[in-house]
Amino acid sequence: MRRVPWAPLVVVAALLVPAVGSRFYTFLANDVIIWALFATSLNLLVGYTGLVSFGHAAYFGIGAYTTGILMKKLGVPFLLAFPAAGVLAGAFALLFGLFCVRLTRIYFAMLTLAFAQIVWAICFKWNEVTGGEQGMPEVPYPDLAWMGALPLVRDLRTSDHFYLVTVVLVALCLWILHRVVRSPFGRMLTTIRENAERAEFIGVHVRRYELAAFVLAGAFAGLAGGLFGIFNRGVFPDFAYWTKSSEVLIMTLLGGMGTFYGPSVGALALILLNQQIVSYTEYWPFVLGTILVVLLFGFPGGLGGALELLGRRLWRPRRA
Amino acid sequence: MHRRTLLVVLLAAALLVPPAADAQKPIKVGMPMPLSGPPALFGEPATKGAMMFVEEINARGGVLGRKLELITRDSKADANEAVRQARELILKDNVDFLVGTLTSAEGPAVSVVAKENKIVFIAPIPKTDQLTAPDKLHPYVFRVASTTTIEGRSAAEIVAKWPVKRVATMSFDYAYGQDVTKAFVEHLKKIKPSVEIVDQQWPKLGEQDYNPFINAQMAKKPEAVFSSIWGGFFVTYSKQARAVGMFDALKYHFIGVGEAATPETAKSMGADYPVGIWGNSYDAFYWGETQAHRSYVARLSRYLKDEYPSSWAIQGYIGMQFLAEAIKKAESTDSDKVAKALLGLTVETPVGPLTIREKDHQANRGQLYGKTVMDPKYPFAIMKPVTYVDPTKFMD
Repeated sequence: MRRVPWAPLVVVAALLVPAVGSRFYTFLANDVIIWALFATSLNLLVGYTGLVSFGHAAYFGIGAYTTGILMKKLGVPFLLAFPAAGVLAGAFALLFGLFCVRLTRIYFAMLTLAFAQIVWAICFKWNEVTGGEQGMPEVPYPDLAWMGALPLVRDLRTSDHFYLVTVVLVALCLWILHRVVRSPFGRMLTTIRENAERAEFIGVHVRRYELAAFVLAGAFAGLAGGLFGIFNRGVFPDFAYWTKSSEVLIMTLLGGMGTFYGPSVGALALILLNQQIVSYTEYWPFVLGTILVVLLFGFPGGLGGALELLGRRLWRPRRA
Repeated sequence: MHRRTLLVVLLAAALLVPPAADAQKPIKVGMPMPLSGPPALFGEPATKGAMMFVEEINARGGVLGRKLELITRDSKADANEAVRQARELILKDNVDFLVGTLTSAEGPAVSVVAKENKIVFIAPIPKTDQLTAPDKLHPYVFRVASTTTIEGRSAAEIVAKWPVKRVATMSFDYAYGQDVTKAFVEHLKKIKPSVEIVDQQWPKLGEQDYNPFINAQMAKKPEAVFSSIWGGFFVTYSKQARAVGMFDALKYHFIGVGEAATPETAKSMGADYPVGIWGNSYDAFYWGETQAHRSYVARLSRYLKDEYPSSWAIQGYIGMQFLAEAIKKAESTDSDKVAKALLGLTVETPVGPLTIREKDHQANRGQLYGKTVMDPKYPFAIMKPVTYVDPTKFMD
């Protein structure tokens, strides 16, 4: 029995959405895919290194503002503005991380939250640069005129073109993150999560590894933010607000921290659930709370863990 | 078994029923509006006003033989959320037009969505000049609200008549607060150069604790204060200001724009209202200038089941009225045609005739101003005398 090549299949399926679905489905899929990257970047900290960050939205926000300001105000092409989001978010993650990794557990979490609130306050107050409360609407789409020359995608809208770019870029980012967690470096992070003291005894510089994970997670969150600002047609201070941090943490929990693709499943589930439930009831937070309680007690591995379990049950008998 | 048969029959029936012809399909209008939190004090009645208009026009047969359908969404007074709701209304609910938004952060953000999707957007409440500024104006955005220029200058005209020299300002730190304060200060300095602006405080939108701002401001010994703290926020602010004796210290030389003198604010505060201050409002049920207005108030009172109906309903009502008239004039629901029809369109609204100017897509919407007093007829403060300030001379 050969392994099913899930990842390429999902990418192909995602690429087909604009062709088969409505504009609204493409919109939803775009949302899910960007959040999937954001949640996966957080999982590098929460799931793989055991560092619970309550302020991951800070780097998402920094990335969004970086790409937004570069593209809207300075007319920098997307090809430079997008990586810049990762670089700047990573740089801030390095700065804040230097302080954060000195603390552990709840103190670490609170400090990440504190830094995130500082970032939010700056985005909120610095009217000249960030647009303050009203944010920065009208971030331009990248120049994707070249896609008009390609067969198959020629007749799609700009938003669909951007969607395809998002799929490819996010797939690339997820592939890199996957390589990272499977690398010796990634294994070391897991060791630290399991037993930081023991890791220290065998000669691992724990803080340095934690800092590296923090910077990587921040950088990828920044990339997700860069994409989101364009997708959202505007960058707003909300992006860095603590509610965004909790939203992405919930996605990670919902999807399952134990698996690499769990957070992506969580992003998909949360966004679809939200869509469906808000059209029936305004008590969406109540429903979400109930789901989380059931999940935390029934499936501590989250949706991802549950799917994996289900998959194993289904595949095993055939293998035998 | 039976259930399954029934299901199959129902499914078949659903598939066989022909889709309704285009002429019977309702004209869908999306309305993103704050329906929760303090801004809902204004957002909800504005939505109700729009709903009343829709009900009335549908009872008369709708527009072009089609019914209007209003789809409301809670924008949470947040630009990001408003943009998201507006996009979903367009993509998921396939609305033909957008009427809505309340804050000056939401308005310009949704305007961008309207521009990209080529859908007519009528803003009934956001006042920031930026919404229709030359660099932001596009063929699909229109405003039936007042503007920050109109409002700031109207307030300056009033303050200029007070025997004061030292004036301070208190406004939220975002588009509306900044723009209306700027318009006020510039106009006041122009018409009364002897005035000195001694202090300017900028709490963030949604601030809950105004004491630090009030204390810092009173330390500068102003003789008059101009505030644009609006909605449910004014309730919090003025209660805190009253507790430290600010209004007495100012001898009630206080003007609250951002509709501080609406009947609903006065009503919700009751005896806590700082009676004696000046304020403004889009409408007041006790105004009763014309027959059209009296009839509107009576209908609204019945619709809302409220003896003292909200002053905000009028903005939702007028927004929808302009849209309906433009659809009639264009004889089409095509956004490009409706947008053209809106240019220079004059509509007989309950507050009198209003015209959307061709050059900046802005209606000449003024507001009611007055000094608040207690009237034995009502259990709360009202503006008396109440005057409609026609903005036509301030608009440029």
